[in-house]
Amino acid sequence: MALNEKLKTIIIKELNLEDMSPEDIADDAPLFGNGLGLDSLDAVELVVQVQKYFGVEIKDMDEGRVAFQSINSLSNFIEERRSA
Amino acid sequence: MRLLFSEKVILDMRIAVRGIGIVGGFGCGIGDLKEALIAGQRTPQMTSLSINNQTIEMPVHLCNTFPVERFVNKRALRRVDHFSRLAVLGSFLALEDANRLQNDHENLAVIIATGYGASKTTFSFLDTAIDYGDACASPTHFSNSVHNAAAAHVSILLKARGPNLTVSQFEMSVPSAFLAARQWLEDKTVEAVLFGGVDEYCGVLGYCWQRFFEPDPTIQMKPLEWNSDSAIPGEGAAFFLLTRDEGDKPKYGFIRNIQIGHIRKNRPQVPEDTFLFLGADGHKFSGTHYALCVQQDTPSAVYTPHYGSFPASFAFDMAIAGLSIQERTIYATPEHAGDNSGLKIVSDQKDLVSEQISCLKFSCEGEFAMVTMSVT
Amino acid sequence: MSSIPPVPVTGIGCLCAAGANLNECMDSLFAGKRKPLPPTRFSSDHQVAYPVFEITSAFPADSSNQRSDILFTAELALVAAKEAIENAGWNREGLKNRQVGVCIGTTVGSAMNNEEFYRSYRSGGNPSMEAITRFLNSNPAKVIAAEFGLTGPCQTVVNACSSGTDAIGLGASWIRSGICDVVLAGGADELCRVTYNGFISLMICDTSPCRPFDASRKGLNLGEGSAVLVLESSDLCRSRKHPARASVLSSGSGCDAYHLTAPAPDGRGLKQAITAAMTACDKTVGNVAFVNAHGTGTPDNDRVESLVLNELLPQIPYLSTKGYTGHTLGAAGAIEAAFTVACLEAGEIPASAGFETPDPELLTTPVKHQTAVNGSIAITQSLAFGGNNAVVVFGKGDS
Repeated sequence: MALNEKLKTIIIKELNLEDMSPEDIADDAPLFGNGLGLDSLDAVELVVQVQKYFGVEIKDMDEGRVAFQSINSLSNFIEERRSA
Repeated sequence: MRLLFSEKVILDMRIAVRGIGIVGGFGCGIGDLKEALIAGQRTPQMTSLSINNQTIEMPVHLCNTFPVERFVNKRALRRVDHFSRLAVLGSFLALEDANRLQNDHENLAVIIATGYGASKTTFSFLDTAIDYGDACASPTHFSNSVHNAAAAHVSILLKARGPNLTVSQFEMSVPSAFLAARQWLEDKTVEAVLFGGVDEYCGVLGYCWQRFFEPDPTIQMKPLEWNSDSAIPGEGAAFFLLTRDEGDKPKYGFIRNIQIGHIRKNRPQVPEDTFLFLGADGHKFSGTHYALCVQQDTPSAVYTPHYGSFPASFAFDMAIAGLSIQERTIYATPEHAGDNSGLKIVSDQKDLVSEQISCLKFSCEGEFAMVTMSVT
Repeated sequence: MSSIPPVPVTGIGCLCAAGANLNECMDSLFAGKRKPLPPTRFSSDHQVAYPVFEITSAFPADSSNQRSDILFTAELALVAAKEAIENAGWNREGLKNRQVGVCIGTTVGSAMNNEEFYRSYRSGGNPSMEAITRFLNSNPAKVIAAEFGLTGPCQTVVNACSSGTDAIGLGASWIRSGICDVVLAGGADELCRVTYNGFISLMICDTSPCRPFDASRKGLNLGEGSAVLVLESSDLCRSRKHPARASVLSSGSGCDAYHLTAPAPDGRGLKQAITAAMTACDKTVGNVAFVNAHGTGTPDNDRVESLVLNELLPQIPYLSTKGYTGHTLGAAGAIEAAFTVACLEAGEIPASAGFETPDPELLTTPVKHQTAVNGSIAITQSLAFGGNNAVVVFGKGDS
């Protein structure tokens, strides 16, 4: 899915995951905790990037926690907000 | 306790200098520093900047931080900017040089002196808000732009849990911050202090340099010409691993004395049997103070053309003093440092005969600091 | 074991949204006044306005304090210094003849982030260099030293949110070491668009007035202000027969070494700082009248602080005063030190503003109402970005 690929590219670029490529990120893999090893600062950075690239706002980290579970959950979140 | 009356601050001490980590325009590490001092002044890089809709070139002593990846993997550095990388590199090099990199750092304090802090990232943060709107301002850039981010990264990577301090006092940043290093070692608050000075160059600084000084890009830095502006900006980090006297002979000797004062009230008291390193760096407003205070018969040297002009550069002179003590060698003042008649400037490399080296720095306004290091 | 020598505090100056001087601030605190509002000195394009504690009162008292050549942060520092010096019974001539050090914490005061200049520079304009010159002239410690002709050690501490507390601890150490016989120690910071945007981007700001330690807390409100304490050697204090308002008994510091922005969940750095400070002054929990907590109102900070307070200082009343002042960053530790001394003198602490409902996750709660306090010492503590934790212990009078 094009949005998933775009999200992977954005995450790698904006969070400086230089040693990774999009193929390394599975669509349903957890982004935080043991997944990609992202942390709370990455989470708020991702909120800003989602706003910047897609114009979609994540109001607080309760919403963020749901949206950021995986690439799939994030792309669903964005699609839902965009069509609303 | 005696009452004091507006004297300069004079503190005696015996602080062991066990490791030095340094990165500057000349390269990385005490080995590169020694080579540069022997080889003589190197031409700084030319960097472009835009002013009045024109692109001009100006010399800057820039450094790169690639060697930091020898100590810390890329992933762990992904959010660490140039300023913090300079600090991390300087810190790790100092600990490695002291053979203490693998130690437990539970009781290690981290003190960083900086004139301008993480200026590049400060502007990168502004870029994100200006380019994309306030709601898209980057939290990663913001958290790295605070002055103490470098000390934080150093502590996190080393798991150093002693007190952390970052001081910003322009040219007096290093001597001012050193007061805390001395205090924490004297009080036995900590076992060791990782103490360093860091400053980075950025485009805005270069632009301001042009606007304030309109420098001639073809001339070399001539810090001994007291009445001219010939400063060339630089950047870098110089770190020291400091401990109390442990009864042995630390390789870079001891820090024995610090004096802090103001030319309005007093003068630096240069010890009789010392070699003087002048922190003059090509700014005429501070140059005049050196002219007033440096005695003609005190053997002196100036090394600022090797690394350029930036607020935390006093730490570089301290590093060279440490190296000189280790090697029992006084390195030559660069050939083009300026007309030095009237001063006893060492123009050739020679043996260190005196037991002490004193590093002297004036700010443009007349604040001064002098740190004396000794072999024993 | 013996304690380190106490360092008398002979004068205090304080200025923030709660008041133009320390007495006004304390009146506001005890009256429960707080009214954070959207910023008026700058605008932003966030969808929502985040309330801040701006100094909007006729600043500051008289116009002779206003200067166009220095940043507002440096002006704030000067105002607090002047109040403190007067409160300590010093005059300019008297101080000039002493070895006086200046140690001031700040964040904005040392940041070259003038947006107008930068926007013009970025777009190839030819901006006036005034903004740069103003920045170069605005190092808060240097500004105070220059104003009063002081030539002792000068230090601007840039340790983020613990700067003010750190500065007081460092200043006291200069007195104990005999480096100075007077130190002006404190902190100053102004509100600005850059920090406003920065903290909002970290998603740690509340869109309502902040609620430190409350179950529904959502984040902090930024604020601005300054405070300066005059610290003196005991000998000098005795020789000029000026009473000490309090004494700095000790300080402590520890680094989490955990994360750039989040505190260590186990609060290890704060525990280290409190333990070090209590050991150095050789006091016990039983001596502690109260704790002025950092209490920003962020979920993480308050959780960690509450955990540590419960473990190390159980049953000791504590409060956050940030509900009255906002988080004043580099000034916070100094403003809170000023409040701590005033409360020790009064034998009372105000309610912890913004706290209504206990959070079931937190094992302790701050005081909900004005509370009389007993005990000869009080603690003020700060937790900073980057993981530094700083604590200062004050004792009553000249201890």
